[in-house]
Amino acid sequence: MPGKLIIPAATRRRILKTGTALGGLALAPLGFVRGAWAEEGPLGTFPVKGDTVKFGFCVPQTGAYADEGADELRAYQLAVKHLNEGGGVLETLKPSKLTGQGVLGKKVDYVTGDTQTNPDAARTAAQRMIERDGVIMFSGGSSSAVAIAQQYLAQEKSVVFMCALTHSNDTTGKDRRRYGFRHFFNAYMSGVALGPILAEDYGKDRRAYHLTADYTWGHTQYDSMKQATEKQGWTTVNNIMTPLGSTDYSQFLTAVLNSDADVLVLNHYGKDMVNSLTQASQFGMRDIDKNGKKMQIVVPLYSELMAKGAGDNIEGVLGTANFNEKLDDAGSQAFIKTFTDEYGFPPSQAAHTAYVQTLLYANACETAGTFYPPEVIKALEGFECEGIGPGKALYRAEDHQNFHDILVVKGKAPSERKDQYDLLEIVKHVPRAEIEYPADTFPGELGPYKPA
Amino acid sequence: MSGSLVNALTLQVITGLQLGAIYALIALGLTLIFGTLGVVNFAHGALYILASYAAVLVAGHTNFVLAVVLVPVFLFLVGIVMERGLIRFFYDRPHTDQILVTFGLAIVIQEALKWAFGANNIPFPLPPWGNGVVFLHEYLPFLEGFVVFPKWRLILVGVSLLVVVGLFLLLQFTTFGLTVRAGMREPDMMRFLGVDVTKRFAVVFGLGALIAGVAGVFGGPITQVSPEVGMAILVPSFLVVVIGGMGSLPGALVAALILGLALSFSAEYAAVQQIVVYLIAVVVLLVRPRGLMGKKGVFE
Repeated sequence: MPGKLIIPAATRRRILKTGTALGGLALAPLGFVRGAWAEEGPLGTFPVKGDTVKFGFCVPQTGAYADEGADELRAYQLAVKHLNEGGGVLETLKPSKLTGQGVLGKKVDYVTGDTQTNPDAARTAAQRMIERDGVIMFSGGSSSAVAIAQQYLAQEKSVVFMCALTHSNDTTGKDRRRYGFRHFFNAYMSGVALGPILAEDYGKDRRAYHLTADYTWGHTQYDSMKQATEKQGWTTVNNIMTPLGSTDYSQFLTAVLNSDADVLVLNHYGKDMVNSLTQASQFGMRDIDKNGKKMQIVVPLYSELMAKGAGDNIEGVLGTANFNEKLDDAGSQAFIKTFTDEYGFPPSQAAHTAYVQTLLYANACETAGTFYPPEVIKALEGFECEGIGPGKALYRAEDHQNFHDILVVKGKAPSERKDQYDLLEIVKHVPRAEIEYPADTFPGELGPYKPA
Repeated sequence: MSGSLVNALTLQVITGLQLGAIYALIALGLTLIFGTLGVVNFAHGALYILASYAAVLVAGHTNFVLAVVLVPVFLFLVGIVMERGLIRFFYDRPHTDQILVTFGLAIVIQEALKWAFGANNIPFPLPPWGNGVVFLHEYLPFLEGFVVFPKWRLILVGVSLLVVVGLFLLLQFTTFGLTVRAGMREPDMMRFLGVDVTKRFAVVFGLGALIAGVAGVFGGPITQVSPEVGMAILVPSFLVVVIGGMGSLPGALVAALILGLALSFSAEYAAVQQIVVYLIAVVVLLVRPRGLMGKKGVFE
């Protein structure tokens, strides 16, 4: 309740201030004058009182994506530490106004919440952070369904949400929101990056069968992969929507075997992918020939944690990733090194995006010179930087999607692995220019900077 | 009928069989415990996944055969401890209390596993002899061309069959079985006759857990080993029990088979597939509230 911030303990001074603010609003023309108090009346959880500023980290601590959530949380804690004490990517980010002494002179503190990988639970947790803890920004993921629910809440409450792990085209497509920002790549980019490599490795005359997780992310990834592979000359035989969290895929895999498909595309993530890939392998799909060609399995969105769960079945399987702990640019190295020093093992791509998002938000506050959400949003829109990963990264103003280089990766054979974390090899560095697309490819409305 | 249609039908029937096999294994334990003790054990799925984790550990450190022997025994002991330490205090309580306490226990087991092993799957490699596929067309002459099925899933169907036959023999042809069956029908009369029913009931609970143990060892590589699997598998298994008739062993078998086949044949129609199990449950309960082979008056 934004009103809560004004009404209780209303001192004469505050009433005067608010009155001035409201008066200013009524008189001022549309648009904002940066830094003018009259424009920056209470909005959402703004203004920030006291000498600390609170961020909210809402990750799955229980449920199917709890391991991803745990890794995100580690990254958030590291980001807060670096914001307060310096170090890490603060030293490589350019341009940067971050000082390593908090944000806008305030020490950064944080609260955590559990999304349970469930949009309703996530919304409740985030609402609590906003209303009870007064967080100025919240961040988290995984699951696009959760991220989209959080973005709508963010807009409603006028509190910025920095998405972590969400790969659905909808997040910055039809469900894009003024108060939501995504650094992670999306299904469309996966398709564009993967298509040519698939055609190169497996040939242009291929017949693909898709199994797809039945929710927003799966749907958009299926569409994007279908489009990208058909562009290369492939035929799409069929697609089955599988319930999220299925444990047994045999009935679907039987259908794949029964068809004349020679490639299986698994639009699954996390456990679903581990299950379906392992079971497909049990069905002999890694070893049989179809249409005179060796049958292949493709996993468009890969993660280290999934690779770990699927064990030896990942060998030779192609997919895409946003980040990999073998990246050697200065920004990635700064993050990988500090993370590994802190926790004893390398970060996942979930951790990377969570960390980067926190820093980008904090930097936008410093750039804007205020925590006032509309100003922070404007500082993020169109912001281009380097030193958070390979190449330059741009936050596109039109849809709040971040564009940067992504990776095509391939599962390593057990014999090629150096240690237990060495699971994926980078096949191709896909430059940002190759995966950029017009903002109206997925039409959507960001909505207003301020509630009407 | 064209050859490809025969192939497709055969594969779907086999898939249905193996889907049903795992539900049957879990439902057998559930319904055995309900039939004898009158307890609705919502922790049964958790016992299953506990067995899978135990199997991964044992198989990882020694070999799979040892897991097949040790894990069911371990689960039997877990069952006894659970019955003596917790469940027996709930025999005279309403079913809702039993459901709450066993559901709570399931959550405790699930979270403990998550704490110990993490929330993601841990790989459960198949033993070398169970790996690979079977060329069905070499055994079934009416199949055309090239038809394969994973060997492990056929083994699972076999194991399931063995357990069913074993349980049947135990209940039908031993004194222990006779007492248990009598106890299922008339527990009070058994007490009047001076039979210590409760002691045998502890063993029955252990037996139910043991079957979950067998299911966990053989089903683990298929359903995957992660903490939430227990809950995921409990729901359809419980439905199997309800459709078959609470407490009826043959009913559970028939229902498991029906559900397996229904899931297999509706696989390509996602909208139907996700509700088909519940649809069958609704129809059966409307037409025959006690379930296919349920006893009159039980949960009717």
